[in-house]
Amino acid sequence: MTIWQRLKPIRIRLALLLAVVGPGIITANVDNDAGGITTYSVSGAHYGYALLWMMPLVAIALIIVQEMSARLGVVTGKGLADLIRERMGVRITTLILALLVFVNLANTVSEFAGVAASMEIFGVSKYISVPLAAIAVWFLIVKGSYKIVERVFLVASAIYLSYVASGFLAAPDWSEVGHALATPSFHLDVGYVTIFVTIIGTTIAPWMQFYQQSSIVDKGLQVKDYAYERVDVVIGSLFAVFVASFITIACADTIFRSGLNIETAKDAALALGPLAGKYASTLFALGLLNASLFSAAILPLSTAYTVCEAFGWENSVSRDLKDAPIFFGIYTALIILGAAIILLPIKSLIQAMLISQTFNGVLLPVILITMLALINDKRLMGKFINGRVFNIMAWVTVIALILLAAILIVVTFIA
Amino acid sequence: MLYASEFIGRPVADADGKRIGKLKDILAIRHGDVPHPQVVAIEVKQPAGSIFIPINEVAALISLAIPLKKKFSEISQYTPGQDDLHLVRDVLDKQIIDTDGMRVVRVNDLELTRVNGSIYVANVDISGVGLIRRLGLGSLANRLSARPHASELPSIISWDNIELLSGDQPMRLKVPSSKMADLHPADLAEILSDLSRQESTKILENLDIETLADALEEVEPEFQASLIEHMADDRVADVLEEMAPDEAADLLAELPQDRKHELLELMEDEEAEDVRKLLTYPEDTAGGIMNTEYFIVPSYFTASQVIDQLRKTAPEAETIYYIYVADQDEHLVGVFSLRQLVLAQPEALVMDFMEKRMVTVDVLDSQEDCAQVISKYNLLAVPVVDEDKHMHGIVTADDALDKIIPTAWKKRLPRFYQ
Repeated sequence: MTIWQRLKPIRIRLALLLAVVGPGIITANVDNDAGGITTYSVSGAHYGYALLWMMPLVAIALIIVQEMSARLGVVTGKGLADLIRERMGVRITTLILALLVFVNLANTVSEFAGVAASMEIFGVSKYISVPLAAIAVWFLIVKGSYKIVERVFLVASAIYLSYVASGFLAAPDWSEVGHALATPSFHLDVGYVTIFVTIIGTTIAPWMQFYQQSSIVDKGLQVKDYAYERVDVVIGSLFAVFVASFITIACADTIFRSGLNIETAKDAALALGPLAGKYASTLFALGLLNASLFSAAILPLSTAYTVCEAFGWENSVSRDLKDAPIFFGIYTALIILGAAIILLPIKSLIQAMLISQTFNGVLLPVILITMLALINDKRLMGKFINGRVFNIMAWVTVIALILLAAILIVVTFIA
Repeated sequence: MLYASEFIGRPVADADGKRIGKLKDILAIRHGDVPHPQVVAIEVKQPAGSIFIPINEVAALISLAIPLKKKFSEISQYTPGQDDLHLVRDVLDKQIIDTDGMRVVRVNDLELTRVNGSIYVANVDISGVGLIRRLGLGSLANRLSARPHASELPSIISWDNIELLSGDQPMRLKVPSSKMADLHPADLAEILSDLSRQESTKILENLDIETLADALEEVEPEFQASLIEHMADDRVADVLEEMAPDEAADLLAELPQDRKHELLELMEDEEAEDVRKLLTYPEDTAGGIMNTEYFIVPSYFTASQVIDQLRKTAPEAETIYYIYVADQDEHLVGVFSLRQLVLAQPEALVMDFMEKRMVTVDVLDSQEDCAQVISKYNLLAVPVVDEDKHMHGIVTADDALDKIIPTAWKKRLPRFYQ
């Protein structure tokens, strides 16, 4: 028996794993979008390492949520919007989807803001970069195919590592980082709570569950693929939070230390220049551009898909531009609106980006409660319902999120 | 017309006017030959759980509050059986197959109708108006529905023309009616491509081998491969035997090596041999797309002998419009059409009326060359030969044109997240 043959079981497993991975990793990568990068930068620049301790917890929460979405997908073979519609009826579906479309539009706006900001670092006006990006993204999906988009961006995912490089270039004190990771702290001021909820809202965004579940279903993954899909989800989630932590570290070690005040990811990129070297700054900007484009392509697509899935539109025979007016209508409208809002003379783009992430944080508990109801439905999931421990962890996550959202609303109101 | 959505969630009160709960679901069952299910009971939600009340104890199905005929204590409850269709749980908001329009749609509402004192489920409403009604905007829905709509396909589908997806059906109905099997294979393929993989797999499981083979021939090899991925090997082998060898070879080419060999082993030797041979040629060549089931006769046959032979063996052949002629050494020497055969005298010899000038393609010619030859000479099929003029198969016009003019199915956008 040659070594090659002896490796056969491992080879087969590896091939199976590679055939299954994708939905989890891609979702997690889109997760670190323009709004995410801004949030992590601002968190590092304003509060240094003070918020770093929540990242491991966020990672656990993200894995819990995305694992449930993956399990719902492989067991039922249906998308999340599909399940909500079938189990909850028209009214709840309409309510949740209306919120989702609104939040996703806000997110799309923030993606185009990210395109504008990153290109401005390279000296390109937003009046050129944003329309070009919008047209490119639209054509990529409508005239090209998702497969191409997926491949381009999977390769581009490597660019996310540029943030890790930026983090190293900033030369942090690693023992201090380790200490910060293990030291929880909490303050009741508006800025702190807002950034707190926003970090969670941007890392565990509501569109992710819809997107990931639909891609799992479309990929035709089934219960037998579940073990591999879980690996996909866990690796993706860990990678996303890993990159997020490095963004915070890069900004904490340079901008926070020097006492500069930044408002945007662009500020962060520019501020990194003199503090950590030109390369750190360029890498940061490239990462932002890639992330914004990736998410600007996928968010509108995911939204249109989700809406059509829930209402049973254009599931009919052929799906091209003429035969799927609602699908392409929603898709096009989101891109045009997203790009147009950025071109309006709004004073602070960053405000728009941060607000969109806060909406995420508020919508999230609604989606999670719905998911928990679905996944504990024995008729739907059979033996794949949540175990007791898992349920407790999931509910703790949900309650913590609701409390945080409530605190945010109260604190904002008082201020 | 009554709409199911108008009753759901309405309070139910007994003869004394005492409120006993809210209407949660409507149970219906199919009797005999009547395709429309008859409403037999309502499910009423109470704080402690659900109770079922027979429909004949319900005084009237009206939308504000639903009155019962007797006092609650005097009513004997209904025991739901396995064959009962729970309209809200199993049908409303679910995806169904419109077997008339050949599409997958979502149920927005159900229309009930009263016939001779019984209530039947008449139609399924998939319209936007139905959605608006469900949102509680009944008056707006009524105004909209008064307007004629210009849509090509109807948005109200009769229960006769729908097929529930098996996961949502009561036990007894799990075998799909002949409706699915009666569809044109190409339409069946379209529907399969619109469903999620799990649902299409379930439908395939319930089809007979022949229908399954026909439907598979209509879909793209990649999609075929994913459809049969979870099917038992012996069933797949049966299907492959039933399919035309060229289609079977295309399908096998998409599968992993191990499974391919297992399946070939399971197939009948004769069919497996044909498929093995086809698999040796590159996919886009004449050899790769040719069909090995053609009709060939020796040149010394008479016309009537050919016709006898046709009756006996031709049902297997892909096309009998061309009949090929071989000499003793099995070289292709001529061809004649069905028309020439019919018009020939019964005792005329094949070698006297066959066409000796023939167009052929080589096994390694490209698919595009085949298409051009077929189009240039206005043929229905072209014979495939090797250097020694031995015939290996035929390439039919539809197979040759397949790659060049995509069929409707190929034109649709891919599933978005694949």
